[in-house]
Amino acid sequence: MTSEGPSAGPGTRGAASGETAPAFDTSVAHVARVYDYWLGGKDNFAADRAAGDQAIAAYPDIVFSVRANRAFLARAVRYLAAEAGIRQFLDIGTGIPTANNTHEVAQDVAPPSRIVYVDNDPVVLAHARALLTSMPEGSTSCIDADLRDADTILRQAAAALDFAKPIAVLLMVILQHLDDDDDPYAVVASLMAAVPSGSYLAMTHPASDIAAEEMREMAQRLNKLMAEKVTFRGRAEVTRFFDGLELVEPGMVRVQEWRPNTEAEATSPAALWCGVARKP
Amino acid sequence: MSTDEPRNPLPGDSILPEPSAGPGVLRLLLGTQLRRLRETAGITPEQAGYEIRASRSKISRMEHGRVGFKQRDVADLLTLYGVSDDLSRSGILSLALQANAQGWWSKYGDILPGWFEAYLGLEAAATLIRSFDLQFVHGLFQTQGYARAVTVLGHRSAPADEIDRRVSLRMKRQDLLQASNGPLVWSVMDEAALRRPVGGHQVMLKQLKHLVDVAALPRVTVQIVPFRRGGHAGAGGSFTVLRFGQPDLPDVAYIEQLTSALYLERRADVDQYLEVMNRLSAEALTPIGTIRFLKEVIRDT
Repeated sequence: MTSEGPSAGPGTRGAASGETAPAFDTSVAHVARVYDYWLGGKDNFAADRAAGDQAIAAYPDIVFSVRANRAFLARAVRYLAAEAGIRQFLDIGTGIPTANNTHEVAQDVAPPSRIVYVDNDPVVLAHARALLTSMPEGSTSCIDADLRDADTILRQAAAALDFAKPIAVLLMVILQHLDDDDDPYAVVASLMAAVPSGSYLAMTHPASDIAAEEMREMAQRLNKLMAEKVTFRGRAEVTRFFDGLELVEPGMVRVQEWRPNTEAEATSPAALWCGVARKP
Repeated sequence: MSTDEPRNPLPGDSILPEPSAGPGVLRLLLGTQLRRLRETAGITPEQAGYEIRASRSKISRMEHGRVGFKQRDVADLLTLYGVSDDLSRSGILSLALQANAQGWWSKYGDILPGWFEAYLGLEAAATLIRSFDLQFVHGLFQTQGYARAVTVLGHRSAPADEIDRRVSLRMKRQDLLQASNGPLVWSVMDEAALRRPVGGHQVMLKQLKHLVDVAALPRVTVQIVPFRRGGHAGAGGSFTVLRFGQPDLPDVAYIEQLTSALYLERRADVDQYLEVMNRLSAEALTPIGTIRFLKEVIRDT
């Protein structure tokens, strides 16, 4: 079945609730659609393609980087479902659906898996509700919330997930949209404080210290063209997100190095740090 | 100029299928795709023709969807154009196969206008069908009674057996909702389609109940835009956007008119329809909200 959080639905966000239609603008590049463009999807518009091309010109390997991120997502979710026995997933920053979405990988291992997708964009949410449909044994649901508002996410996720049992929190290429003023470490800490021992955090984060010059140039270009700004971080800064958690092997590594399935996965260019960690 | 050239050019980069040419739009899509690949590879039509032991004009006819495709020719061209990954190759080759095949609907040829026959070819090949319907329940979701009432409205003077066949064609189309490899169907409908009692009260009640059942199918999503939302992005009328699995094949926007249809595949045109479709999907009730709403409408009907 597919269920929804208690107040999930279009037009329910903050002050814009009620009869006002959600606001969106395809004349400005949007992160989910730029990402879709890099992945070779068809849900993007001229402004997204222009911004995407600007980024590619600065860092051509971004098209491999986004694929390496998806490949890591699939490997991490399979590990969590098959080896760690996780049956509940909180996937924050869903993006436009593509191949190997979280629930597909998790329910391939364990059909009763329950997945809550979180995004703050009305069009992404519409896609998620229409296309990310669960197997009958499990559930998928969608929450309209911003990562900065962990309380809302946790409150609404409680309608679909049992917070007395382990939950895997997935933060795939999303923390770069929180700058230091947003206190991303506090956000991650409050999410992980709400889940019980035996829960997991799986994360990828764009690196400021891999292909450093190209990545800096790409960040500058994206920040001029996209509404959502990016802050790339270095190895030590990303490692701090796992404070108090136990990283599983091989630890905090480049995304290609995390249990690759194939030679192609192991050698793909990508400027991303990643890790999977257990809450003790 | 051949006789099947369109007489009146239509706005945008529209594809006009050749009348009664089977899955004509599929051939055109494939032809367009082959042209793009050839141009990207920097290969002239002469060189391409040489590769498949054919003339420059044969390549031109293929790229304009005027002739069928031999599997071997397409495979050789893909190799010449440097398309080596299996996913892209098999996608294009399977479309080439479908473009040559006679659709299940060919036996309805006498009642099918060429412009609609082409749509059936696309519908059968699509992996995702997104539609917006303003006045009527989507054709893939219609009950026999509702379909009959809609058909009679459009063909008042048609004999009974023709009406029967038109209705049976529509019912047969719905097989793709049950097919194991069928497309995802994501439909947004204006509340008007639920409130207009086509065929009378009993027919409409049955139709609304059927809609609740259809919406529960695993590969179907239904969203209603209720009147209370006020104006919406789809005021311009009904349309459909078809997506194909092959990564390089463009989406096609389909807009039905009284005596013909528009097929748009140029990115700048399709983007505008896709944007409106996205707005509508975000403005409409969620899929679960829609089921609740449908049940309310059934109580009122």
